[in-house]
Amino acid sequence: MYHLSVLLWLPAAFAVLGLLVPSRTTRWVAVVGALLTLALSVVLVLDFEATGPALQHVTDATWISALGVRYELALTGLNMWLALLATVGFAFSIVWAAMTPLGVDRRAKHVFFHLGIAQSAVLGALLAQDLILFVAFFDLMLIPFFFLTAQFGNGDRVPATIKMIVYTLVGSLLMLVAAIAVGVLATPPGAEVSYNIQEIAQRGVPEGSQGWLFACFAAAFLVKMPQFPIHGWLADGYKAMPLPVLAVFSGVLSKVAVYGFLQIAIPLLPQGTADLRWVVLIIAVVSILYASTVALTTFNARMVLAYSSVAQLGFITLGVMSLRPDGAAGALLQSVNHGVAVFGAFLAVAILGHRTGSEDLRDMGGAATKAPVFAVLFVVVTYAVLAMPGTANFVGEFLILRGTWEGSAPALAIVASIGVALAAVYALRLFIRSSHNRVGPVIQPREGARWELALLAVPVLLIIALAVHPQQTVEAADQAATRSVLSAAAAVSPDRARDILADDPSAQAAAEAAQSAAGGTGAAGGAGGAGAAGGADASGAAGAETAIDPATGQPVDQTAQTEGAGR
Amino acid sequence: MSPAEAAWIVLLLPLLGAVVLGLGFRVWRGITAGIIGTAAVGLAFVFTLITLFGLLGRDEEGTRQIASSLYDYVSVGGVDVKMEILVDPLSVVMLLVVTGVSTLIHLYSIAYMRGDAGYTRFFAYLNFFVFSMLVLVLAGNFVLLIVGWGFVGAASYMLISFWYRRTSATKAGIKAFVINVVGDVGLVLGVILLLKETNSVDFLDTFHSAKETFGEDGSGSLTAALLLIMVGAFAKSAQMPLHTWLPDAMEGPTPVSSLIHAATMVTAGVYLIARLHPLMELSPTAQTVGAIIGCATLLVAGTIGLVQTDLKRVIAYSTMSQIGYMIMGVSAGAYVAGMFHLMTHAFFKALLFMAAGSLISAMAGEQNMNKMGGFRKAMPFTFLAFVIGGLALSGIPPFSGFFSKDEILAGVASEGGWHWILWGAGIFGAFLTAVYTWRMIFRAFWGPPVPEAKELEEGHLHHAAEHRNPATGEIEDTGVGFPGPEHHIAERAPAMRMAMSVLAVLAVVGGILGIPHVFTPLEHFLEPVFEEAHALHHVDTSITVLGLIVGSLAGIAGIAVAYVIWAKPTTRGEASTAISSGWQRRFAPVHRLFVNKWYFDEIIDLLIVRPVRGFGRWAHDGFERLVIGGAIVGGTTGAVRGASAVVRRLQSGYLRTYSAVVLTGAAVLVIYFLTQS
Repeated sequence: MYHLSVLLWLPAAFAVLGLLVPSRTTRWVAVVGALLTLALSVVLVLDFEATGPALQHVTDATWISALGVRYELALTGLNMWLALLATVGFAFSIVWAAMTPLGVDRRAKHVFFHLGIAQSAVLGALLAQDLILFVAFFDLMLIPFFFLTAQFGNGDRVPATIKMIVYTLVGSLLMLVAAIAVGVLATPPGAEVSYNIQEIAQRGVPEGSQGWLFACFAAAFLVKMPQFPIHGWLADGYKAMPLPVLAVFSGVLSKVAVYGFLQIAIPLLPQGTADLRWVVLIIAVVSILYASTVALTTFNARMVLAYSSVAQLGFITLGVMSLRPDGAAGALLQSVNHGVAVFGAFLAVAILGHRTGSEDLRDMGGAATKAPVFAVLFVVVTYAVLAMPGTANFVGEFLILRGTWEGSAPALAIVASIGVALAAVYALRLFIRSSHNRVGPVIQPREGARWELALLAVPVLLIIALAVHPQQTVEAADQAATRSVLSAAAAVSPDRARDILADDPSAQAAAEAAQSAAGGTGAAGGAGGAGAAGGADASGAAGAETAIDPATGQPVDQTAQTEGAGR
Repeated sequence: MSPAEAAWIVLLLPLLGAVVLGLGFRVWRGITAGIIGTAAVGLAFVFTLITLFGLLGRDEEGTRQIASSLYDYVSVGGVDVKMEILVDPLSVVMLLVVTGVSTLIHLYSIAYMRGDAGYTRFFAYLNFFVFSMLVLVLAGNFVLLIVGWGFVGAASYMLISFWYRRTSATKAGIKAFVINVVGDVGLVLGVILLLKETNSVDFLDTFHSAKETFGEDGSGSLTAALLLIMVGAFAKSAQMPLHTWLPDAMEGPTPVSSLIHAATMVTAGVYLIARLHPLMELSPTAQTVGAIIGCATLLVAGTIGLVQTDLKRVIAYSTMSQIGYMIMGVSAGAYVAGMFHLMTHAFFKALLFMAAGSLISAMAGEQNMNKMGGFRKAMPFTFLAFVIGGLALSGIPPFSGFFSKDEILAGVASEGGWHWILWGAGIFGAFLTAVYTWRMIFRAFWGPPVPEAKELEEGHLHHAAEHRNPATGEIEDTGVGFPGPEHHIAERAPAMRMAMSVLAVLAVVGGILGIPHVFTPLEHFLEPVFEEAHALHHVDTSITVLGLIVGSLAGIAGIAVAYVIWAKPTTRGEASTAISSGWQRRFAPVHRLFVNKWYFDEIIDLLIVRPVRGFGRWAHDGFERLVIGGAIVGGTTGAVRGASAVVRRLQSGYLRTYSAVVLTGAAVLVIYFLTQS
């Protein structure tokens, strides 16, 4: 049994430690810290019981009692793999930064301090089971990146930073307001305000307010991903950020926004989700098409990856908003896949552009001749980016498209799948223009240094491991995803929730698990008689009246059903 | 060893070969890599035989269908996919073709690719391809099928772009890859639609429940699903309008064209339709579409083949046309015939490509037929191989293509009604086939010997002073990513000769596996798989005999026409181009249409490539800058700018203050909301 707080605060502790030691050793302190955190998270993931209770390794303490804010952390099927992705990503980024000039910069202490703080914040946002705690960490995780961009960035770093701040600030404030409102509005008269996420789900937010609350959360998350047309910070931000920082920013931080949908917006605001999901779906599908076409026309290698991320996150959003367990689990799997692929892709761009600093595709070419090992590693990464069948990225995309087809609309899946073909074009174009053809006019390709190739091999090996056994990742996500989307699915239509439960035996186990978890707070006592069909009755998901279970004729505890506690 | 275990080993061996070769690409010297690669695939063939005999040792009824799974590949939310293979007569026949022909082509490549700086890489790719193809063939469910489908696409891409410093090769590679991804997408969507109806991606489950789910006459969703799946089949099998990648794919080394773009991968669509026959049988619409597309492709490809001047492209169009036959056959319910033709085609087309490779080597990489001629004396073995392959391809009795093609046509015709039009088109296609095949042979081997041929007769192999890419004229060096400096012809390389001899024998006698009404072991073996198919059993003897006679006449007529046009000595004693150039003048528009390949490339470019690229440029240069960057960002930042003018002017260090302000503001908001509630 490990205390999650150890995992959470270890990076921050090492960040502070890095400030205290002599500058020359700071980077090694940071590397040790990142690797320790990684090891700890691996242990936690191995320790996770896929069929066990929903929340594992729970830490719960009062934080600000006057405001009802608690310091509650837990490992769930939803956040477990994302937490691992975060520790892998930060370890990757910190090791990488340590090997580059950033690591020996006179301000190197700042680099590793900010990265450490950011890692703690990301882990905090992922593990938090209290809404305010989540929001606090979510905002905190961005701040180190503002400093990193502003201090160590390239080109127009200050305007880029300001742009990022303005955008995320607007999103964050909206989310903060919404978070407070959710907690307050869900509190029944006379009860104390609670921001516990499960507690709020059981209490239910009044349906009338769910629409604007969902809109606020969605705005914050969509800006963070980012999605069209609120991706204004993307181009400048990506261009300005140093690559090791960008890898983790693009690979990990955008996933916290995905997680926000599954952890907060959808389960807490089922009616709002049901009402507004088409707005998000359209944004997602437009993002896929728009960003894919931009990615295949831009000549900046970094921007190809930037827009490809927008497109990939469009797919992930589609999966999340399909409100089906397959789509949501696919989205989680794809989040992990995309993160891993992006680590590799940005490192590859760094190796390609190393000599001259040019990241223009027109300057590149012929790397495969001079750098065969690099080219082999890069081609694997490319296949992952374009989601070739056989990679886990394909599995994720398959699940997402399936979820979209069934949960949203076949037409949407078909339109989105155009993005799959476009992905093949932009990803291969990036590879061919940099590694194939003749040696380019500006950049003399060279084989990566040993450490670069070794580091690049890490995402490649992860891609292969994920490809061979994707089940590993979706297994834990399955039940958690069902729990997350069930009440919103019921809010869209009762049949839909029934389908989810009938379709999938494991969903029922998930519902049971949810019930046992809820049982701890004594709220789900009446749900025992709710059969699979009972879940479908939760059409007025957060309504106050008591539903009757058609199977048993018994009155059914409404709040428990909202949680998806059918058997 | 059970057949399933043997099949797993078949799958594993080429993967092992690819990994060993790939990791050791700096270790293996000389022909070691070639031997490792060949051994891996050869062993896979041996284990395929073990699988075959294991299957033959079992009872015919029911027990020759073995599904074997290792672990859950992905199982979530109603999608349940296992790492699973299906061993049955159909997959075993395909395995035999794939591993058998692959072994021979690996053997050929040991010699043919010798001297190429990417020798080890070549065999690593080739082994990976075989592995991918075996995944495709053995897949026990739709998802693994798509995995194999995607893998062969990737392997094909890597091998087309094998000489990756040629921009023509990389362009051809990405084209092939993207068109195949379009096919993959169709396949994926089709499978998702099927999954919705049947709740399973497993082949056997889907087939067993097909009638229940869709009813005897099928349903709209089944037809839609099959049509989507057939997009995948058409893309991979180069059927119209998704065929344009195949001729360009000839940029790859010739063994690649032989293995992937003739014998194995491009026939995957045929295999897929045969595999899905329980579903196809329920959807007459899908069957009709397949038959018509196949028929149209075989005709169009035949007409283009008539006028191409690039030797390998002629054979490529011929491949497209022959696959048109197969697709037409399996779509019309002639499954065994389709698989039979797939097999004989693999023999004679691989042989033709190998012979073409030998000829191209002698020409120092030149593929233009206008520059060839008179190689008969210089390259007798290659000539013989060409003749055997050409006769089999033209369907001349008793060569293998004769029986298999006729069986397809007979199967199609026995459907009756408008299917007789397809039959007629098929016969006409056979005539075209004979014409373009023998045009190629006559132009390369008849007439006065070109300098290369003369030199070869004197015992020297021609080497160009400076190597140029025949497509673009770029000067090439011989480093990695260009063809090697050495040229290997069958006459001098025993490994090449050995591989070609085996294939030549098979191309001659392969037909005995299915002599109608006399000796039909293949049909007998495959029959249990297709027992429910209605078209299988009653092909009229009269139709068969009619087809055999008319088909062979069409072939002979085609050869005769080709002889008259391109080989018959005029009074001056040399072949004349008068007839062909006269026709070109007289039917100029038709000739232009054929030479320009029916303008498919141009149409696709106009309808798809340009709009997408145009939109991308507009989005990138215009919309991003003006709207996203200008209006939205500019507006927001403009508002902030006034307030934060100080921050802007100061250096980055002051951002700390700025962030602090943000956090303080947030805290104030928290307090405000809490006091208000």
